[in-house]
Amino acid sequence: MLQVLFNGLVTGAILAPGAIGFTLMFGILRFPNFAIGAYITIGAFAILFFDQVAGWHIALAMLGGIAVTALVVWLTDLVVFRPMRQFPPISLLVVSIALSLILENVIRFIAGNDVRGFDIPLTRPVKLSGLMFTSEQLYLIALAVAAMFAMHAILKFTKLGKAMRATADNFTLAEVRGIDTDKVIAATWLIGGALAGLAGFLAGLDLVIEPLIGWHLTIPVFAAAILGGIGSPYGAMAGAVLVGLAEEMTALWFDPAYKVGVGFVIIAVLLLFRPQGLFGQPEIKK
Amino acid sequence: MLSYLISMTTFVGFFMILALALNLQWGMTGMVNFGIAGFYALGAYTSGLLTVEAGWPFLFGVAAAAVVGLVFGVALSYLSVRLRDDFLAIVTLGFAELVRLFALNEDWLTRGPRGLPIDVRPLSGVFDRDGYAIFYLGIVASAVLIAFLVNERIRRSPYGRAAKAIREDDVVAEVLGKNVLRIRIQIFGLGALYMAVAGALYAHYTQNISPDHFTPVVAIFIWMSVIAGGAGNNKGLLLGAGLVMMFLEGSRFLGEFISFMDAEKASAIRIILIGVLLILVIRFRPQGLMPEERFKGPSEI
Amino acid sequence: MKSAISRRRLLGTSAALTFTTALLPRLALGSAPISVGSLTPNTGGGGPFGPNITAAHKLVAEMANAKGGVLGREIALHQENSETNPETAIRAARKLVDVNKVIGVLGTWSSSVTLGIMPLCQEANVIQMCTSSSANIPLKDKKGLVFNFMVLSPIWGDALADLALRRGYKTYSVMALNNDFTKSMVDTFVDKVKAGGAKVSNDPFYYNGGQSSYRAEVSKLIADEPEAVFIPSYVTDFTSVYKELFRQGYEGKVITVSISTGSKFKKVVGAAADGILHGLPAPSLASAAYKDYLKFAGLKDTGAIQHPFGTAGHDQMSVLLLAMASAGTDDVAKVREHIHKISNGPGTAVTNVLDGLAALEAGEEINFSGASSDVDFKSPSGVLKSRDFVLWEIKDGKDVVIETIASAS
Repeated sequence: MLQVLFNGLVTGAILAPGAIGFTLMFGILRFPNFAIGAYITIGAFAILFFDQVAGWHIALAMLGGIAVTALVVWLTDLVVFRPMRQFPPISLLVVSIALSLILENVIRFIAGNDVRGFDIPLTRPVKLSGLMFTSEQLYLIALAVAAMFAMHAILKFTKLGKAMRATADNFTLAEVRGIDTDKVIAATWLIGGALAGLAGFLAGLDLVIEPLIGWHLTIPVFAAAILGGIGSPYGAMAGAVLVGLAEEMTALWFDPAYKVGVGFVIIAVLLLFRPQGLFGQPEIKK
Repeated sequence: MLSYLISMTTFVGFFMILALALNLQWGMTGMVNFGIAGFYALGAYTSGLLTVEAGWPFLFGVAAAAVVGLVFGVALSYLSVRLRDDFLAIVTLGFAELVRLFALNEDWLTRGPRGLPIDVRPLSGVFDRDGYAIFYLGIVASAVLIAFLVNERIRRSPYGRAAKAIREDDVVAEVLGKNVLRIRIQIFGLGALYMAVAGALYAHYTQNISPDHFTPVVAIFIWMSVIAGGAGNNKGLLLGAGLVMMFLEGSRFLGEFISFMDAEKASAIRIILIGVLLILVIRFRPQGLMPEERFKGPSEI
Repeated sequence: MKSAISRRRLLGTSAALTFTTALLPRLALGSAPISVGSLTPNTGGGGPFGPNITAAHKLVAEMANAKGGVLGREIALHQENSETNPETAIRAARKLVDVNKVIGVLGTWSSSVTLGIMPLCQEANVIQMCTSSSANIPLKDKKGLVFNFMVLSPIWGDALADLALRRGYKTYSVMALNNDFTKSMVDTFVDKVKAGGAKVSNDPFYYNGGQSSYRAEVSKLIADEPEAVFIPSYVTDFTSVYKELFRQGYEGKVITVSISTGSKFKKVVGAAADGILHGLPAPSLASAAYKDYLKFAGLKDTGAIQHPFGTAGHDQMSVLLLAMASAGTDDVAKVREHIHKISNGPGTAVTNVLDGLAALEAGEEINFSGASSDVDFKSPSGVLKSRDFVLWEIKDGKDVVIETIASAS
């Protein structure tokens, strides 16, 4: 049982940065950005490039890859989303789907379909009073938790964070009160992109790197963000762990073939009783 | 080339029925549905299994598909009708994935990943190959026409205007005495029925279905059709469906000009191109190629 | 719009044709090229394999064209991407059949795609050559037009069980990627293992590809600490699964299919790959055909199996072209007969399209053996008669042959 909880936590840690990035972008930009999966793929491949082609140390490669991803994600805003700021969310959702097809295939064009991995040897598990884990899994959880705290600190204690929260609460009001919303939006994309880059690193550690790696994470990341209540970084983290747990338990005690589906069912049931998500505030309709 | 155009037109026909269904749900009433592939699959498997396993004739199979689509559509919308747009997107997408997983795993019924061969077709002995292609296109075209006329009828009726009021603001519509819940469920159910019929027609056309036919990608294409064509405008989205198919298939002919690249790269370029074209259409025609028509007469509401 | 495109294409094609006729005096003037379609999974689940297959098709077609084509006509290859998705593949196949008027559609990989395009290919009298393992394929092939370059998957299960039993493992657990290829394989594997007196300790289960984690599946698989686990899969999911197996400390034998353990897999998992047993219907790596293939494809002989499906793509195109040359026509009914004739022999043994064309020109009968197998088909169905089945073990990052058996199908 303890092992199941731990495994769920690991899966949750992989999903969490992506879910936090997604929820952050949703909070400010008000549309579900489907391209989050493609951003994660870019992260994984950028880190892979620094790790294997440039031959950097893995920690350095990770930072470099995160920076590249943040820049690319910000660029997608400049080129694609900025001219469409006032469009309805569903149009932007469709645009983001198209964008994710583009990004995924740019990666495929450059790198091909082959499976790849970071230059890190696999390790055997450590067993400690019934609990089994590997050192990578500990790093993984630590990185996800660090990202969450960093996010919290930015939102709570920096001027930028306060501006971001104000903008997320009420865009027009924030503008009226003199907040530079353009700057807030740029920061949102950069931070969201950095989180996606980190997610790419975590996913690449745990799974296999190929052009669909982020696509496979898209639905669980969505689910985690929604479960946690969209717009809430802590919620997204908790949602990620819950989705991870739900998937583990389904596979273990029910039928692995229905793993993805049962995750959906849990989300649906939860939403029926708590439409604002687990940790979200009820939204007041304007 | 002619028989290719006939078969592509038939495929556009399936897209058109699906797009008309989504237009009822989203364009006219404002209900998000990303579970199109689920209803499409339900229709395909219902008709396929009943005609193959139980020996039902084609028309009965299609009718049964319609009923199954309606029932599932009503049930799903009853459960999820109060959800916000983005949540409804997830729930409907989840529904479609469950249908697909069911078809994949319950071999005893659906034959799972092995796929279901369907040799039942209406009047199959009467025509030669080309003649049959035209005949089947006729069947699909009639279905498109019926769906189109029904949609237009609804759009112009007081009922349709009530649906539109719900789309604009459900609270106001409720206050004005519209039965919001009932209208939503009815419209969603009708849309699901269209989708299931489209699935049944698709199954008997391709004559072999497996869960791989019904991935969420189908929903993406249909959303592209409706958004590019013009949500709320039935004519526009017919154009949209045609356009999306042209993007998808027309880009194949480009492949012959870039044959110096290896196939992997050429395929990637083709999909990148589809994405770019779509973004450009939405960017420069945000209301779609044919924006929704406004009523000239005095408003009911 | 459409007609503009087609006019431009027409102009392009005829310009290209004039150009090639000028270059290749051996081509009979005024004869149209022979169109062949290549429909491969360049993206999606088959992405790691499709590009190799279609590249091999192109390679063989170009080799033949450089020697003046077949029947004095140029081979025009039309390549399409199935996206490993039958919904898309059907439209791509439509284009190949109706617009390009191909004589055959080569290279389909996933069974759902092969079966999905079968109705339209049968209707239009078009040959199909595939590497799909569904037992449904020969049943649905009413006209005998489908040639399968992979043995059906029950045979894989049987052979792998046989090889495992000979190694003396007594308890097995089984899980598999959820698709047509693996399902029949699991059934026969389990039956055979049980018949051999060993125990299958779990209730075999299936997982879906493209998951965000495989932790629970792996825990479930090794819960009873079996001596060996059998995991039929594809390379993408298997790589993730194997990383997880290793991290959960499993020390028993891992048995899988070789398509999951190619060089890319070994590169990803590194030294941890040692000890994996894997099997595949394969030519002996020492065969002339396989060595030819490596040379043509510009690959180094690493001693490991490379391009498991690319080799099949090479054989598909070679067999089709040689059959046309042998039949002296591109009439499908005749070509179909000659596919059986040149692949089963008797005749001069040839292993590539150039030798084959030369031998046919010299008036000899030929027997083609390919880079993927001997390519001998049963008649009337296009199912392979047999393929050698090889079991390898990964030692120091290299595949070492443990055993070879001939499997009858």
